[in-house]
Amino acid sequence: MLIQYATAVAAVALVAIHLLLQGVLVPYGTAISFGTVFAAYRNVFSVIFLEALLVVVLVHGFNGVRIILHELRQTVDWSRWVDVGTVLAIVVSVGYGTRTILLAVLTGAPA
Amino acid sequence: MGALGDPERVATKENAGNRKGVLGWIDPHGHNLERWAYTFQRITGVAVLLYVLGHLGDTSFFVGGPTGAGPSESSWAFISGIVENSFGHMILVLVVLVVTFHGINGVRLILAEFGVILRKPTAIEYPYKPKGLGATQKYIFVAAVALAFVAAALAWWILFEGPL
Repeated sequence: MLIQYATAVAAVALVAIHLLLQGVLVPYGTAISFGTVFAAYRNVFSVIFLEALLVVVLVHGFNGVRIILHELRQTVDWSRWVDVGTVLAIVVSVGYGTRTILLAVLTGAPA
Repeated sequence: MGALGDPERVATKENAGNRKGVLGWIDPHGHNLERWAYTFQRITGVAVLLYVLGHLGDTSFFVGGPTGAGPSESSWAFISGIVENSFGHMILVLVVLVVTFHGINGVRLILAEFGVILRKPTAIEYPYKPKGLGATQKYIFVAAVALAFVAAALAWWILFEGPL
């Protein structure tokens, strides 16, 4: 459970900042405009923040589902497949989100 | 034979399942405040994960979606046209509601796990009624519900009433 609590504490802080930047500290229309998002992907601190948010929330979320599934059934096979499935789900989803970040960071501005 | 050595107490394919399953979360029989807090924490957690997965998909359209290769203003305009409307904003208001509840109630669970807000242990006496949460935990749970609605109201104002 330690990973669940550690990611929970991090997620509370990161999600709070993320939500504040989407409408409270920055007007919502500005926050989701192409120019603002593009600028965010050009800022190293913003990129690190987004990647951390991605990893923390997905690890917390899928580990939470793993805990629920372990509660529902406790055979050895079930537990093993649930653990393997959780790791796969985290790897695939973090990978897809990281791909978005990398493409936005490493490729040039649109023509 | 002790419980650990009792073959009937060992999980097998026949007896390993949780009898009520997920439906047990919403079965009101015997539910007290902490049981409802458990239920809401589970439901909001799953709901937030589903939203996050959808959010991964819509934000990927900044770089052209699953087959994109870099920032694309037209792709971003395309997905904005789909999600930035009244229905999409209602979803966002609900997301703020459940995220706020899940976060604050989750902090309560962490504090309880590490013994910070547990009530003092008392002697077990007949008729053995469950004691339930201490006052501090009840206050935090009520605050989680109240602040979730405050945050959702703020999100509603920003998305539907405020200057965009």
